[in-house]
Amino acid sequence: MDYKYIEQLLDRYFEAETTLKEEQILTAFFEQDEEELPEGLRQYRPLFAAMQQDDALGDDFDARLLQLTEENIQVKARTISMTERLRPLMRAAAVVAILLSLSTALNQSFKDERVWADESDYALKYETTVDEPAMAYDLLGSDTLKLDSLYKPTGYLE
Amino acid sequence: MKEISFRTDVLPLKNELFRLALRITLNRADAEDVVQETMLKVWNRRQQWEQIESIEAFCITICRNLALDRLKKADNQNASLDDEGYDAPDHSYSANPEEQAMQRDKVERVRMLINQLPEKQRTCMQLRDVEGKPYKEIASILNMTEQQVKINIFRARQTIKEEYLKQEKYGL
Repeated sequence: MDYKYIEQLLDRYFEAETTLKEEQILTAFFEQDEEELPEGLRQYRPLFAAMQQDDALGDDFDARLLQLTEENIQVKARTISMTERLRPLMRAAAVVAILLSLSTALNQSFKDERVWADESDYALKYETTVDEPAMAYDLLGSDTLKLDSLYKPTGYLE
Repeated sequence: MKEISFRTDVLPLKNELFRLALRITLNRADAEDVVQETMLKVWNRRQQWEQIESIEAFCITICRNLALDRLKKADNQNASLDDEGYDAPDHSYSANPEEQAMQRDKVERVRMLINQLPEKQRTCMQLRDVEGKPYKEIASILNMTEQQVKINIFRARQTIKEEYLKQEKYGL
Protein backbone atom coordinates (compact mmCIF):
# COMPACT_ATOMS: atom_id res chain seq x y z
CA MET A 1 0.00 0.00 0.00
CA ASP A 2 1.17 3.47 -0.83
CA TYR A 3 1.44 5.85 2.09
CA LYS A 4 2.86 8.78 0.14
CA TYR A 5 -0.25 10.86 0.74
CA ILE A 6 -0.09 10.30 4.49
CA GLU A 7 3.64 11.00 4.53
CA GLN A 8 3.05 14.21 2.67
CA LEU A 9 0.30 15.22 5.07
CA LEU A 10 2.52 14.38 8.00
CA ASP A 11 5.31 16.62 6.67
CA ARG A 12 2.88 19.45 6.19
CA TYR A 13 1.42 18.81 9.64
CA PHE A 14 4.82 19.36 11.25
CA GLU A 15 5.21 22.54 9.20
CA ALA A 16 1.80 23.71 10.52
CA GLU A 17 0.49 23.87 6.95
CA THR A 18 -2.35 21.35 7.17
CA THR A 19 -6.03 22.25 7.27
CA LEU A 20 -8.36 21.03 9.99
CA LYS A 21 -9.77 18.48 7.58
CA GLU A 22 -6.34 17.08 6.78
CA GLU A 23 -5.53 16.91 10.48
CA GLN A 24 -8.69 14.87 11.00
CA ILE A 25 -7.52 12.46 8.30
CA LEU A 26 -4.18 12.06 10.06
CA THR A 27 -5.86 11.52 13.43
CA ALA A 28 -8.15 8.88 11.95
CA PHE A 29 -5.23 7.19 10.20
CA PHE A 30 -3.17 6.95 13.38
CA GLU A 31 -6.11 5.54 15.33
CA GLN A 32 -5.40 2.21 13.68
CA ASP A 33 -3.69 -0.48 15.69
CA GLU A 34 0.04 -0.14 15.78
CA GLU A 35 0.67 -3.41 13.93
CA GLU A 36 -1.41 -2.26 11.01
CA LEU A 37 0.61 0.90 10.52
CA PRO A 38 3.62 0.81 8.20
CA GLU A 39 6.97 0.60 9.94
CA GLY A 40 8.10 4.13 9.18
CA LEU A 41 4.91 5.76 10.42
CA ARG A 42 4.38 3.67 13.52
CA GLN A 43 6.51 5.93 15.70
CA TYR A 44 4.16 8.89 15.19
CA ARG A 45 1.13 7.14 16.58
CA PRO A 46 1.54 8.34 20.21
CA LEU A 47 1.83 11.95 19.02
CA PHE A 48 -1.72 11.79 17.72
CA ALA A 49 -3.04 9.54 20.46
CA ALA A 50 -1.90 12.09 23.04
CA MET A 51 -4.32 14.62 21.53
CA GLN A 52 -7.31 12.37 22.27
CA GLN A 53 -8.06 13.67 25.72
CA ASP A 54 -11.08 12.59 27.67
CA ASP A 55 -10.53 14.57 30.84
CA ALA A 56 -13.97 15.56 32.03
CA LEU A 57 -15.91 16.98 34.93
CA GLY A 58 -18.67 14.95 36.52
CA ASP A 59 -22.39 15.60 36.83
CA ASP A 60 -21.93 16.94 40.36
CA PHE A 61 -20.20 19.91 38.77
CA ASP A 62 -23.33 20.66 36.70
CA ALA A 63 -25.56 20.36 39.74
CA ARG A 64 -23.35 22.71 41.74
CA LEU A 65 -23.18 25.28 38.98
CA LEU A 66 -26.91 25.21 38.35
CA GLN A 67 -27.52 25.72 42.03
CA LEU A 68 -25.16 28.68 42.05
CA THR A 69 -26.77 30.28 39.02
CA GLU A 70 -30.27 29.39 37.90
CA GLU A 71 -31.55 29.13 41.47
CA ASN A 72 -31.35 32.88 41.69
CA ILE A 73 -32.98 33.38 38.35
CA GLN A 74 -36.34 34.48 39.74
CA VAL A 75 -34.79 37.12 41.93
CA LYS A 76 -32.22 38.46 39.60
CA ALA A 77 -32.39 37.29 36.04
CA ARG A 78 -35.20 39.24 34.46
CA THR A 79 -34.39 40.35 30.98
CA ILE A 80 -35.22 43.99 30.59
CA SER A 81 -35.46 45.55 27.17
CA MET A 82 -33.90 48.90 26.40
CA THR A 83 -37.26 50.70 26.21
CA GLU A 84 -38.35 49.19 29.50
CA ARG A 85 -35.13 50.25 31.12
CA LEU A 86 -35.48 53.80 29.84
CA ARG A 87 -39.18 54.16 30.68
CA PRO A 88 -38.74 56.00 34.03
CA LEU A 89 -36.30 58.36 32.37
CA MET A 90 -38.74 58.98 29.54
CA ARG A 91 -41.50 59.70 32.05
CA ALA A 92 -39.33 62.22 33.83
CA ALA A 93 -38.43 63.79 30.51
CA ALA A 94 -42.12 64.02 29.56
CA VAL A 95 -42.98 65.77 32.85
CA VAL A 96 -40.15 68.22 32.35
CA ALA A 97 -41.29 68.86 28.80
CA ILE A 98 -44.86 69.54 29.93
CA LEU A 99 -43.71 71.91 32.66
CA LEU A 100 -41.43 73.71 30.29
CA SER A 101 -44.06 74.18 27.60
CA LEU A 102 -46.61 75.28 30.20
CA SER A 103 -44.28 77.87 31.65
CA THR A 104 -43.36 79.19 28.21
CA ALA A 105 -47.02 79.41 27.30
CA LEU A 106 -47.81 81.28 30.52
CA ASN A 107 -44.86 83.60 30.08
CA GLN A 108 -46.01 84.30 26.55
CA SER A 109 -49.52 85.25 27.65
CA PHE A 110 -48.23 87.54 30.42
CA LYS A 111 -46.05 89.24 27.89
CA ASP A 112 -49.07 89.71 25.59
CA GLU A 113 -50.98 91.37 28.41
CA ARG A 114 -48.17 93.77 29.02
CA VAL A 115 -48.06 94.71 25.38
CA TRP A 116 -51.81 95.35 25.44
CA ALA A 117 -51.44 97.54 28.53
CA ASP A 118 -48.79 99.57 26.80
CA GLU A 119 -51.07 100.19 23.86
CA SER A 120 -53.85 101.41 26.18
CA ASP A 121 -51.62 104.27 27.26
CA TYR A 122 -52.79 106.08 24.19
CA ALA A 123 -56.43 105.67 25.12
CA LEU A 124 -58.29 108.40 27.00
CA LYS A 125 -58.28 108.00 30.70
CA TYR A 126 -61.57 108.66 32.40
CA GLU A 127 -61.94 109.67 35.98
CA THR A 128 -65.11 109.62 37.86
CA THR A 129 -66.41 112.94 39.12
CA VAL A 130 -68.50 111.31 41.73
CA ASP A 131 -66.65 110.29 44.85
CA GLU A 132 -69.32 108.52 46.78
CA PRO A 133 -71.51 105.70 45.52
CA ALA A 134 -74.43 107.29 47.35
CA MET A 135 -74.07 110.49 45.32
CA ALA A 136 -74.11 108.48 42.18
CA TYR A 137 -77.30 106.86 43.30
CA ASP A 138 -78.89 110.27 43.85
CA LEU A 139 -77.77 111.44 40.47
CA LEU A 140 -79.39 108.40 38.92
CA GLY A 141 -82.70 109.76 40.15
CA SER A 142 -82.32 113.16 38.48
CA ASP A 143 -83.04 113.64 34.81
CA THR A 144 -79.95 115.73 34.39
CA LEU A 145 -77.96 112.54 34.48
CA LYS A 146 -75.72 112.35 31.57
CA LEU A 147 -72.72 110.25 31.02
CA ASP A 148 -70.65 113.36 30.55
CA SER A 149 -71.50 114.59 34.01
CA LEU A 150 -70.36 111.40 35.57
CA TYR A 151 -67.16 111.03 33.62
CA LYS A 152 -65.05 113.67 32.14
CA PRO A 153 -61.78 113.35 30.33
CA THR A 154 -58.83 114.48 32.42
CA GLY A 155 -56.26 114.23 29.71
CA TYR A 156 -53.87 111.74 28.20
CA LEU A 157 -51.70 109.46 30.16
CA GLU A 158 -48.01 110.01 29.84
CA MET B 1 -29.35 36.70 17.29
CA LYS B 2 -30.23 33.48 19.05
CA GLU B 3 -30.85 33.61 22.73
CA ILE B 4 -28.12 32.10 24.88
CA SER B 5 -29.01 29.83 27.76
CA PHE B 6 -26.60 28.94 30.51
CA ARG B 7 -27.77 25.35 30.69
CA THR B 8 -27.51 24.55 27.00
CA ASP B 9 -24.79 26.89 25.72
CA VAL B 10 -22.39 27.54 28.59
CA LEU B 11 -22.46 24.50 30.84
CA PRO B 12 -21.66 21.97 28.05
CA LEU B 13 -18.35 23.79 27.51
CA LYS B 14 -17.15 22.54 30.88
CA ASN B 15 -14.96 19.69 29.61
CA GLU B 16 -13.30 21.75 26.92
CA LEU B 17 -12.59 24.47 29.47
CA PHE B 18 -11.43 21.89 31.99
CA ARG B 19 -8.91 20.42 29.55
CA LEU B 20 -7.54 23.86 28.73
CA ALA B 21 -7.30 24.84 32.41
CA LEU B 22 -5.66 21.51 33.15
CA ARG B 23 -3.12 22.07 30.40
CA ILE B 24 -2.23 25.45 31.94
CA THR B 25 -2.41 24.76 35.67
CA LEU B 26 -1.33 21.09 35.39
CA ASN B 27 -3.48 20.33 38.42
CA ARG B 28 -6.95 18.82 38.34
CA ALA B 29 -8.32 20.50 41.47
CA ASP B 30 -7.07 23.91 40.33
CA ALA B 31 -8.47 23.31 36.86
CA GLU B 32 -11.90 22.46 38.23
CA ASP B 33 -11.90 25.60 40.38
CA VAL B 34 -10.91 27.65 37.35
CA VAL B 35 -13.78 26.25 35.29
CA GLN B 36 -16.27 26.99 38.07
CA GLU B 37 -14.94 30.52 38.46
CA THR B 38 -15.10 31.00 34.69
CA MET B 39 -18.73 29.92 34.52
CA LEU B 40 -19.79 32.11 37.42
CA LYS B 41 -18.04 35.05 35.82
CA VAL B 42 -19.79 34.39 32.54
CA TRP B 43 -23.10 34.02 34.39
CA ASN B 44 -22.65 37.34 36.15
CA ARG B 45 -22.13 39.02 32.81
CA ARG B 46 -25.32 37.59 31.32
CA GLN B 47 -26.61 41.08 30.52
CA GLN B 48 -23.86 41.28 27.87
CA TRP B 49 -24.42 37.88 26.28
CA GLU B 50 -26.38 39.35 23.41
CA GLN B 51 -23.44 41.49 22.37
CA ILE B 52 -20.94 38.61 22.42
CA GLU B 53 -20.06 37.20 19.04
CA SER B 54 -19.09 33.73 20.26
CA ILE B 55 -19.94 32.66 23.78
CA GLU B 56 -17.50 29.76 23.43
CA ALA B 57 -14.55 31.99 22.55
CA PHE B 58 -15.60 34.33 25.35
CA CYS B 59 -15.57 31.48 27.88
CA ILE B 60 -12.22 30.16 26.67
CA THR B 61 -10.64 33.60 26.96
CA ILE B 62 -11.88 34.06 30.53
CA CYS B 63 -10.86 30.52 31.45
CA ARG B 64 -7.34 30.99 30.14
CA ASN B 65 -6.90 34.29 31.97
CA LEU B 66 -8.12 32.82 35.25
CA ALA B 67 -5.88 29.78 34.83
CA LEU B 68 -2.88 32.03 34.15
CA ASP B 69 -3.75 34.14 37.23
CA ARG B 70 -3.87 31.04 39.35
CA LEU B 71 -0.57 29.86 37.98
CA LYS B 72 1.01 33.20 38.78
CA LYS B 73 -0.43 33.27 42.30
CA ALA B 74 0.56 29.72 43.15
CA ASP B 75 3.90 30.11 41.38
CA ASN B 76 3.84 26.39 40.83
CA GLN B 77 5.10 26.31 37.31
CA ASN B 78 7.64 23.61 38.05
CA ALA B 79 5.88 21.80 40.83
CA SER B 80 3.13 19.61 39.58
CA LEU B 81 4.04 17.69 36.47
CA ASP B 82 3.38 14.50 38.38
CA ASP B 83 0.11 15.60 39.93
CA GLU B 84 -1.85 14.78 36.88
CA GLY B 85 -1.04 11.12 37.04
CA TYR B 86 -2.12 8.55 34.54
CA ASP B 87 -5.66 9.70 34.17
CA ALA B 88 -6.40 9.31 30.50
CA PRO B 89 -6.44 5.70 29.44
CA ASP B 90 -5.65 4.90 25.84
CA HIS B 91 -8.58 3.02 24.42
CA SER B 92 -6.62 1.53 21.57
CA TYR B 93 -7.26 -2.14 21.09
CA SER B 94 -4.29 -4.33 21.70
CA ALA B 95 -4.47 -8.02 22.33
CA ASN B 96 -1.48 -8.02 24.58
CA PRO B 97 -1.68 -6.20 27.95
CA GLU B 98 2.04 -5.54 27.88
CA GLU B 99 1.71 -3.93 24.49
CA GLN B 100 -1.21 -1.87 25.80
CA ALA B 101 0.81 -0.67 28.77
CA MET B 102 3.67 0.33 26.49
CA GLN B 103 1.32 2.31 24.27
CA ARG B 104 -0.11 4.08 27.28
CA ASP B 105 3.36 4.84 28.49
CA LYS B 106 4.29 6.40 25.15
CA VAL B 107 1.18 8.56 25.07
CA GLU B 108 1.89 9.68 28.60
CA ARG B 109 5.43 10.64 27.63
CA VAL B 110 4.11 12.79 24.80
CA ARG B 111 1.71 14.50 27.24
CA MET B 112 4.57 15.23 29.61
CA LEU B 113 6.47 16.79 26.72
CA ILE B 114 3.44 18.93 25.88
CA ASN B 115 3.24 20.06 29.51
CA GLN B 116 6.82 21.27 29.31
CA LEU B 117 6.17 23.57 26.36
CA PRO B 118 5.92 27.33 26.94
CA GLU B 119 2.33 28.24 27.88
CA LYS B 120 1.49 29.95 24.59
CA GLN B 121 2.62 27.02 22.49
CA ARG B 122 0.83 24.63 24.81
CA THR B 123 -2.44 26.56 24.67
CA CYS B 124 -2.25 26.97 20.88
CA MET B 125 -1.61 23.26 20.49
CA GLN B 126 -4.42 22.40 22.88
CA LEU B 127 -6.96 24.52 21.00
CA ARG B 128 -5.83 23.27 17.59
CA ASP B 129 -4.82 19.64 18.00
CA VAL B 130 -7.15 18.65 20.81
CA GLU B 131 -10.18 20.88 20.32
CA GLY B 132 -9.84 21.24 16.53
CA LYS B 133 -10.32 25.00 16.29
CA PRO B 134 -9.53 27.11 13.22
CA TYR B 135 -6.49 29.42 13.38
CA LYS B 136 -8.72 32.46 13.17
CA GLU B 137 -10.66 31.54 16.28
CA ILE B 138 -7.52 30.71 18.25
CA ALA B 139 -6.05 34.04 17.20
CA SER B 140 -9.06 35.94 18.50
CA ILE B 141 -9.12 34.00 21.78
CA LEU B 142 -5.42 34.59 22.44
CA ASN B 143 -5.42 38.08 21.00
CA MET B 144 -2.70 37.27 18.46
CA THR B 145 -2.45 37.27 14.69
CA GLU B 146 -3.15 34.06 12.79
CA GLN B 147 0.49 34.03 11.76
CA GLN B 148 1.61 34.07 15.39
CA VAL B 149 -0.73 31.19 16.18
CA LYS B 150 0.73 29.21 13.29
CA ILE B 151 4.27 29.88 14.46
CA ASN B 152 3.41 28.72 17.98
CA ILE B 153 1.84 25.54 16.66
CA PHE B 154 4.74 24.94 14.31
CA ARG B 155 7.23 25.24 17.18
CA ALA B 156 5.14 23.07 19.48
CA ARG B 157 4.79 20.27 16.92
CA GLN B 158 8.47 20.41 16.02
CA THR B 159 9.57 20.28 19.65
CA ILE B 160 7.27 17.42 20.52
CA LYS B 161 8.35 15.43 17.49
CA GLU B 162 12.06 15.96 18.05
CA GLU B 163 12.00 15.35 21.78
CA TYR B 164 9.81 12.30 21.49
CA LEU B 165 11.85 10.68 18.72
CA LYS B 166 15.03 11.45 20.66
CA GLN B 167 13.62 9.66 23.71
CA GLU B 168 12.54 6.72 21.55
CA LYS B 169 15.96 6.44 20.02
CA TYR B 170 18.17 6.91 23.05
CA GLY B 171 15.83 6.08 25.89
CA LEU B 172 14.89 8.53 28.66
